[in-house]
Amino acid sequence: MARYQGWFALVLALAIAAGMFLVRTPLELGLDLRGGSQLTVEVMPAGEITRVGSEEMEAVKAVLDRRVNGLGVAESTLQTVGESQLVLQLPGEQDPTAAARVLGDTALLEFRAQKPDTEAEFRGLRQLRSQVEAILRLREDQIRRGETPEPLDLDQLKSTQETLGLDGQANSEEEQLRELLNKVDSDLLTMLEPAALTGKQLVTAGRQPLQNNPNSWEVTLNFDAEGAEAFADLTKSIAGTDRLLAITLDDQLISAASVGPQFKSAGISGGAATISGNFSAESARELEVKLRGGSLPLPVEIIEVRTIGPTLGAENIRRSLVAALSGLALVAVFMVVAYRLPGAVAVMALSLYALFNLAVYALIPVTLTLPGIAGFILSIGMAVDANVLIFERIKDELRRGNTLIRSIDTGFSEAFSSIVDGHLTTLISCAALFFLGTGLVKGFAATLGIGVLLSLFTALTCTRTLLRFLMGYAGLRRANNFLPARQLPSPTA
Amino acid sequence: MTESSSSATAAQVRNLRWSLSSMRRRVWLISGLVVSVSLLGLLLSWLDPSIRAPLRPGLDFTGGTQIQLERRCDDSCGELKAIAVSDVIRTLELPVEEGQPLPNLGAPRVQLLDAGQSLLLRLPTLSAAQGQAVIQAVDPVAGPFLSGGQSVDTIGPSLGKQLLRSSLISLLVAFTGIAAYISFRYDRRYAFLALVALAHDVAIVCGVFAWLGVVLHLEVDSLFAVSLLTIAGYSVNDTVVVFDRIRERSKDASDLPLSLQVDQAVSATLTRTLYTSGTTLLPLLALVFFGGATLYWFAIALALGVVVGSWSSIALAPSLLTLWDRSLD
Repeated sequence: MARYQGWFALVLALAIAAGMFLVRTPLELGLDLRGGSQLTVEVMPAGEITRVGSEEMEAVKAVLDRRVNGLGVAESTLQTVGESQLVLQLPGEQDPTAAARVLGDTALLEFRAQKPDTEAEFRGLRQLRSQVEAILRLREDQIRRGETPEPLDLDQLKSTQETLGLDGQANSEEEQLRELLNKVDSDLLTMLEPAALTGKQLVTAGRQPLQNNPNSWEVTLNFDAEGAEAFADLTKSIAGTDRLLAITLDDQLISAASVGPQFKSAGISGGAATISGNFSAESARELEVKLRGGSLPLPVEIIEVRTIGPTLGAENIRRSLVAALSGLALVAVFMVVAYRLPGAVAVMALSLYALFNLAVYALIPVTLTLPGIAGFILSIGMAVDANVLIFERIKDELRRGNTLIRSIDTGFSEAFSSIVDGHLTTLISCAALFFLGTGLVKGFAATLGIGVLLSLFTALTCTRTLLRFLMGYAGLRRANNFLPARQLPSPTA
Repeated sequence: MTESSSSATAAQVRNLRWSLSSMRRRVWLISGLVVSVSLLGLLLSWLDPSIRAPLRPGLDFTGGTQIQLERRCDDSCGELKAIAVSDVIRTLELPVEEGQPLPNLGAPRVQLLDAGQSLLLRLPTLSAAQGQAVIQAVDPVAGPFLSGGQSVDTIGPSLGKQLLRSSLISLLVAFTGIAAYISFRYDRRYAFLALVALAHDVAIVCGVFAWLGVVLHLEVDSLFAVSLLTIAGYSVNDTVVVFDRIRERSKDASDLPLSLQVDQAVSATLTRTLYTSGTTLLPLLALVFFGGATLYWFAIALALGVVVGSWSSIALAPSLLTLWDRSLD
């Protein structure tokens, strides 16, 4: 009996510890329960890299990590999933658009000098570009408001297209304009020397409003020693000429500036520069975040975006709580009706099981999601199974006329092998789901697997300990607390 | 503790609560019929021109955007027809994304959930801005919406294929692992029959959902894949316990014919199997009734799996074991 008191103390201590731990460490809730956005991006192979390996993933993740931190969403997480995917969770964030823009761009930043003897053409193309862009913006705004835009000057469009060597086959006028813009951009790029300096040599980026116009922002750059030298060389080569220093981001010209003749001898030294490209506060912030994060070594593609509102999340919590509690209550009633005293013990063991389960979720920690809760609720049902197996065996032994204590011991030992086999086969499938599955499947497998392990523990120790402890009281030590008297063999048999 | 039992064979035969061997033909007939109907459902689904797959694949597998909106119903929710919502969406002009083709909104799927309190829209893949445009357009017809009560899921088609593949691979690995474990603990016959029972259970659940897909246009999502994997685990667990009893009987009463050993073992575990299914079903039914729309069909699939799994472990698998015995004799 002393042995069981020791076990009883252990179970009690574990229960108290689990309870205290749960009070201190709140459960981590998934986005489907608290609201927020989740983005999954796939890293695509490009150029010489035909397969995305773990090294590439690390590199991409490091860049995205920095960019995500730049977004400033509290408790955001970025995790690698499978071989080539990353999952970004932004709790509380309702607008995934901004995150998607920041994540999606490779942001390959390059500094290039304009090639000699292209001055006039370059200037002309840039003027054309800003004109076309203005017209396109205006028309798109009008269309969005539901107005009919004025017809384009088709003759002028035609001649511009001819000058650039376009055949103007696109369907709508907007598409023609956009095609024109793309052509101008690619023509502009051909007039630039290959990059002498890239975002790799960038140490930090910042932003500030322009002094004379607080609505317009500029982005500031700081280079490392190597970058500073390259920047000085680059500015020196074009200082005092009409040629421009171009800054491109992902092959898009975002800024071009002339360099004054005073830098002719040494270039701009000191490793600092500013980009002023008529940025709004928001676009300056996005560029800053991209630049700070550096350029992605490989392009990424957003393959999944899930956004869930906080109200809906709270509703999900409420519903699954109601389901879990009513499920537990139904099982409890069933067990007490079917098994009397041991049934009541099983209910206690089940409550301990639920408590331990939640404590383990907080300890590991397991992020609780809707399917995870379903896995937990299901594992309650399965946890009962072990108790049922044991109690059925105890009943068998009692019907055979064995004494109560002997029946209990035999019941446990007889049921042992089925319990272990049943639990182990479920664990095998949980392991397969956990290691090979993704997302939802993984979360479900984790909660079910933890449930199975704990059910093994609670059924074989808690139920037994509680039962043996109660058997210490003579008033409870009666066979008809286990079986209706009519099912017991008569003492003479 | 069971030595005394083998001597009183005749009495024990009379005391059987469920004589499986005498009704095994009926068991096979029932299982065969249900499996055939299930397979027919899978076939019909495949032949259906709007599905062309054994199960109607949901958004998780095909890719697209799903928007769920909770309506704000202070007193009661105004009458709303799904067709009115889809008309609005059909004529909507979406904001253009640079370099992306415009999604075709010609055939939106609109569903009213929870007695018209929430609205589920299934659309082709939309960008975040386009999704917001849809919500704004629907607002005058179906709104006002509860702030914070919306969810927008956009899933690329490649993810669905990947999900399907990883689910299938993990299912196969789990099967192999379980078969290896049972072969090691019992023998190969038991492992084979456990897998037969498992295939039977999974086929029936899939079949029911295939029929639901054909008749009610119900789609299967990744939660359905999860439920299948769980049913597989549960089915084997259930069968193994019965096999454990049969093995125990075959040690204690090796002089009895196998069919009687099986009958006795099944009778002995009958209460346990029914109780366990009952206690697993109770929380699942709670999920069905209180768990909300997200978990509704998931819980139904699991509950169905539990019922079918119990049947296959107390009736189908043990009765097939006796067939094996006769063919060996």
